[in-house]
Amino acid sequence: MEHAYLGIDVGSISTKGAIIDENNQLLASQYIWTQGDPIGAVKELTGLLEKQFDKEHYKIVATGATGSARKLVGAIIGATMVKNEITAHAVGTTTFYPDVRTILEIGGQDSKIILVENGVAVDYAMNTLCAAGTGAFLSSQAKRLGIEVEDIGEYALRSTHPTQIAARCTVFAESDLVHKIQMGHPREDIIAGVCNAVVANYLNNVGKGKKIISPVVFQGGVSKNKGVVAAFEDTLGCQVIVDPNGHLMGALGVAILAKKGSVRRDFDFSVENMEFHTREAGCGGCSNNCEIICVYRGDELIDSWGNRCERGARVH
Amino acid sequence: MEAMSVRKVAFPRYAEYNCAFRYIFEEAMDVRCIQPPAITRRTMELGAKHSPEFVCTPFKITLGSMIEALEAGADTLLMVHGLCRLGYYGELQEQILHDLGYRFDFINLSEYDMGKKKEYIKIVKRINPKVHLAKFAAKFMEGIRMVEYLDEVTAEYYRSCGFDATGGQYKAAYRRFLTALYTARTRADIEDAYRAVRQSFQTIPINKPLRPLRVGIVGEFYTVMDAFSNLELEDKLSGMGVELYRWMNVTHQFFQYSAQKNMGVKIRDLCTYEMGPTATANIWYAKECAERGFDGLIHVKSAGCTPEIDVMPALQTISGTYKVPVLYLTYDSQTSDVGLMTRLEAFYDMIEMRKKVL
Repeated sequence: MEHAYLGIDVGSISTKGAIIDENNQLLASQYIWTQGDPIGAVKELTGLLEKQFDKEHYKIVATGATGSARKLVGAIIGATMVKNEITAHAVGTTTFYPDVRTILEIGGQDSKIILVENGVAVDYAMNTLCAAGTGAFLSSQAKRLGIEVEDIGEYALRSTHPTQIAARCTVFAESDLVHKIQMGHPREDIIAGVCNAVVANYLNNVGKGKKIISPVVFQGGVSKNKGVVAAFEDTLGCQVIVDPNGHLMGALGVAILAKKGSVRRDFDFSVENMEFHTREAGCGGCSNNCEIICVYRGDELIDSWGNRCERGARVH
Repeated sequence: MEAMSVRKVAFPRYAEYNCAFRYIFEEAMDVRCIQPPAITRRTMELGAKHSPEFVCTPFKITLGSMIEALEAGADTLLMVHGLCRLGYYGELQEQILHDLGYRFDFINLSEYDMGKKKEYIKIVKRINPKVHLAKFAAKFMEGIRMVEYLDEVTAEYYRSCGFDATGGQYKAAYRRFLTALYTARTRADIEDAYRAVRQSFQTIPINKPLRPLRVGIVGEFYTVMDAFSNLELEDKLSGMGVELYRWMNVTHQFFQYSAQKNMGVKIRDLCTYEMGPTATANIWYAKECAERGFDGLIHVKSAGCTPEIDVMPALQTISGTYKVPVLYLTYDSQTSDVGLMTRLEAFYDMIEMRKKVL
């Protein structure tokens, strides 16, 4: 029986799972939409992973959770490692690309840049107040133009004269875009313009003041968009590597971290059939009114968090 | 208000400095001090509701705190002056509170020339005409001493609290010290509190590695110091096991600033002019930390703080020259700390892994 490691990355838009063996080789992987229900998505994900997984030869001895729902998911699957997505992405990428110097990452709601030196992250930045230059902007504009978000790349590559679109902020970009549509710009050019706008916004906000050195690896859901990849290569003037498993990098990273961690706990696929629910309780101990999140498996309280002081610890 | 009755003075909540304000009001000026309740989400909501949308968060929080002070019975409010938009805040807050229907006397330090000693006497005489000036001067200096002790102890606390080997005694000692300051009535009380906390800090076992992670914090005057405003940044980060260094505090900025007159010279390569109330000091301290080989820097500001936005390009230069990562944090009236935790954890992981390799 060989050991295997599971990593789950639950983001705002998509939920990713990956199982690796001792040598970081992928044994099973899955990518599904979160659809505003992280618990449901994780249960569905474990079901789908179980079908691909060879239980005869492997057993999962450590699990990791990352992404914006890492705490909740970590409680549900009994994770041995709960890590933020920035570290998970950095660890995942540097494991598969030891020479990488710059990691660009654009997800559904956030975007990050990680600078790497000697295989270790040395600086990073993450978007703060605005979601311009993220996948959410691309998918809402795709909807406006009546095309699937997956097809954006194909459209963009057909364009020869990308439309200029203001990239400072999504609201400005959108009104600019509507104006250009009404002026009769071809759809291909508009879409290529949107891709350029995402790149310009990313480099001006997240990448501001950061020295981008080749080799550059681009990942996150938006890396699947060939139009954005082309726009990055154009702007940076260097090759941009997109890993076929780039969308799984967070899950892979946290699986590797779980493997490196010291805690071992066998993972039980029966999670998919268990009943989980969360309840929000107002503490009421002071006028902060901290929202305490309680996670239940059936009727049993398995975890709670959200209190800022000792007073909140007694509320369940 | 009766002419003879004692004023009930309040100053909005500001980090832990309200203990010294209370001491100066009550012991030096012989008026009553109304201590506004600790800042909570309600304070923020009250302040935000009555504030202009694009004003910085410190305005909203201090306005909320003033409202809570008035609710608690204050009849006189005191507001400080400042070198950025803060200089106008008192006037605007007074207007907003009057429009809301509150009746109070507002003492706005922006209306006085704070460079002259005579003006201070005017303010004191306005608060309490019968004040004995010699006694005031002596007690006022004790209040200043309290601030100096508070800043000194707080700095030491955040350098070591993350390495407490006893699981909470260090924090308990610091809490006891704060309580003692808030209830001090005499100089002896202040000195006793200081001695007690020093002794505790020296005797409580600390489990610090030989080369701990060191992070310097710079940023905007209010947000960088006020734990509610920065979502307990210092507690969160030191709790991960980091030595924290923050130069910016009232002692350094107001009482010892003249000692740092050469700041401008030391950062001549980074900026030529004074850019606002704290810009020079922040750039100087960031450079100082970088030169001392710190593992990371954190820059804290409230959204829309122009002087601190001007600091950022200089910090980027420092980051590039000295190869020190800088985490830029911008705060608005949000109260959820999930995003902050993600960034802090990632920052910690990064500087920790980096230290092992470099």
